[in-house]
Amino acid sequence: MYRLDDFYDLSATLTDYPVTRLIGTGVGNEYNQTLSQWVRQDVLDELYHCFSQLERNNDGQVCPQALRHQLLSNEKYGPIARNIIKMWYLSIWYKMTDNWSMTYGIPAYSSPVIGVESPTPEDYIISNNAYIQGLVWPLMGSHPMGAKQPGYGTWSDAPLNSIASIHLQ
Amino acid sequence: MTKCEQFDVVIIGAGISGAIMAQQLGAQQKKVLILEAGTGTDGRFFNNNDKKGYESYMDTFFTAMAKIPNAPFPNNPNAPQPLVTDTRNMSDGKPITNNGYFVQMGPNPFASTYTRSEGGTTLHWLGTCLRMLPEDFKLKTHFGHGLDWPISYDELQPWYEVAETMIGVSANARDQNYQQIDNPAVHIPFREGYDYPMEKIPQSFLDNYMNQGLQGMSVTIDYHHYPIKVVSTPQGRNGMPRGDYRPVGAVGNQNLGQRCAGNSNCVPICPIQAKYNALKTLAQAKTTGFVEVRNQCVVSDMALDEYTHEVKTVIYKQYTDTQTTDYEVKTVSGRIVVLAAHAVENAKILLAAGIANSSDQVGRNLMDHPTMLTWGLMPTDIGAFRGPGSTSGIPSLRGGEFRRKQAAFRIEIGNWGWSWPAGAPISTVPDLIDNKNLYGAELKRAISSVYPRMFRLGFLVEQLPDPNNRVTIDERYKDQLGNYRPVIHYQVTDYTRAGMAQAKQVSDELFAYLGVEAYTQYKQSDPGYVTYQGEGYSYNGAGHLVGTHIMGFNAQTSVVDKHQRSWDHPNLYLVGCGNMPTISTSNPTLTMAALTYWAADNVLKALEQT
Repeated sequence: MYRLDDFYDLSATLTDYPVTRLIGTGVGNEYNQTLSQWVRQDVLDELYHCFSQLERNNDGQVCPQALRHQLLSNEKYGPIARNIIKMWYLSIWYKMTDNWSMTYGIPAYSSPVIGVESPTPEDYIISNNAYIQGLVWPLMGSHPMGAKQPGYGTWSDAPLNSIASIHLQ
Repeated sequence: MTKCEQFDVVIIGAGISGAIMAQQLGAQQKKVLILEAGTGTDGRFFNNNDKKGYESYMDTFFTAMAKIPNAPFPNNPNAPQPLVTDTRNMSDGKPITNNGYFVQMGPNPFASTYTRSEGGTTLHWLGTCLRMLPEDFKLKTHFGHGLDWPISYDELQPWYEVAETMIGVSANARDQNYQQIDNPAVHIPFREGYDYPMEKIPQSFLDNYMNQGLQGMSVTIDYHHYPIKVVSTPQGRNGMPRGDYRPVGAVGNQNLGQRCAGNSNCVPICPIQAKYNALKTLAQAKTTGFVEVRNQCVVSDMALDEYTHEVKTVIYKQYTDTQTTDYEVKTVSGRIVVLAAHAVENAKILLAAGIANSSDQVGRNLMDHPTMLTWGLMPTDIGAFRGPGSTSGIPSLRGGEFRRKQAAFRIEIGNWGWSWPAGAPISTVPDLIDNKNLYGAELKRAISSVYPRMFRLGFLVEQLPDPNNRVTIDERYKDQLGNYRPVIHYQVTDYTRAGMAQAKQVSDELFAYLGVEAYTQYKQSDPGYVTYQGEGYSYNGAGHLVGTHIMGFNAQTSVVDKHQRSWDHPNLYLVGCGNMPTISTSNPTLTMAALTYWAADNVLKALEQT
């Protein structure tokens, strides 16, 4: 598994969920594998290096401005970072733009994705289980549609306080 | 040709109407064969080696990018089915001949779909089980347009009770008679002492919020005041049983689905089958020992006896798998033949066989509920995206004097936020990340403070029967087995558009009453964009396909008689929503099921007589 710890560290900053919560989804390995499948290792190395060099606050958190200036607005790293966020929330790998892929390449030995013939597939859901573990569902105060059934009549209950749900990590 | 197999009754289609018919006849020891065009799961819940069970539908659903109503069900070129994603804007005036199963002739696109698999469209229906209003059976008499039914509410009433029991509907009769609504046109008489087999499904937090918030609200149409009342919706979904009634769980796994568990996924598929689907009735039919279901058999033709005009044989193509075109032509015969293949497919088969059409009404009077959505953000968290798709509605405007001039409609309260109008959250969250440039805590706040407030209404607007709205066939358009694709002519007329305009007006008032921040947008590029008096509105398909072989009072103007029998062929019965002469404002399945129990009774009597 290529640089899994770095993947989690970067993910934690991008999503504001602690690494333990991300590991708890059980699908971080799949996401990291997906990332390695569509982004070359030397590009990932550069991304993680850039991330490690970002200015940090006293509490060790990456400075938001530094993240925006040096990573999110960077034409090479920004699209990868946004795809990482989208994987965690929606369990979908969104195809990188052709322009990005031509400029920064894709791994030479992409293992074929089941049911997808093109080496740069259209957007796809990473797996059944990944769909179920998407972070968007609990954040909305709900559950993945079609899974993690909350029980008869729960839809009548008052919703969770939305501020509380931010802290319920 | 091999020897022709004989049955008491041959039923074409293993959806809800075919299943009801088979179960009723099998229980009386009639030998029944069902021919189903699509594939099936043969009563399995779990996959068994290479044999797929119901759970395979869930697997397909999870990884489908577009979670449309047919997403879980196999793409089967040998029994192709329409998809909502096939629907295109037709404002350029050109037919759409090569995008999906339907050939769309316009002028408006027909936006509804159905499922061609064992179990039929009940696999993805929402489960809404509304009765029709008494006035809905006599539109022509009351309002001067549309058609009267040859059967009245009072005659159908006992069959509604049978259908509600057999489907397993959860509701309280004291809510559903609408006596609490100060609009006598919508009152529905129930038999004294009758109640549904299960208690009403708990209403959502949103329903209760709206019920409180809308206290005292009314709207005015033509100087009449109509109260806006939130009423629980009767649902074919397991809840708390009354008396001795016992809910029917999942086929192949009775421990599952005894009660709705809140998977929030009724459309496109209930993972536990707490929602009724026709697989349950099919399983009961098979239990009789007199019913055989044959999947992957597409009926292509029927042959008549030239003297009696009875249907002598049913001709079908049995294919080996969905991805090759290998098939064998086979023939069966039944003392009685029941066409239960779906409104569009029934019409297609009759037109292909050239039968039952002395009235020239086969395929005509196609109707749907053009469904207009309005959406916005509630001022407070209402817990969106939880529970069954809809647990309440506003039925106040289902009937009234205004139907002389404009369509009636029912308002459905959606529990799943903007999932229908915007594809939220899957289709909307990327925008927050890619374009709104949110990440980390800001992104979390944007989602958790907005999504639980998402709110939408659906307005199911009635259409009148129009002979020009029709299904036809054309030699040029066939599927890979050589069977016809439906060619559809469809228009949303001013009567319905006026109803849409009225619905938008009611929505605007309701949003203002509740303080909803409106986000409704109708775009000229929407497939269902139409205008009325200079304003634009967009409709979606409801999946309520009605009226392609209507029943009526005589053989000149209708396809079947009151008993659901073809006027032209004494041993041919048609069942399904195609028999309904008007659609009015209720989701049609319950009424269709009631009619099918009535039809089954008539078939039994006919069998006894021959």
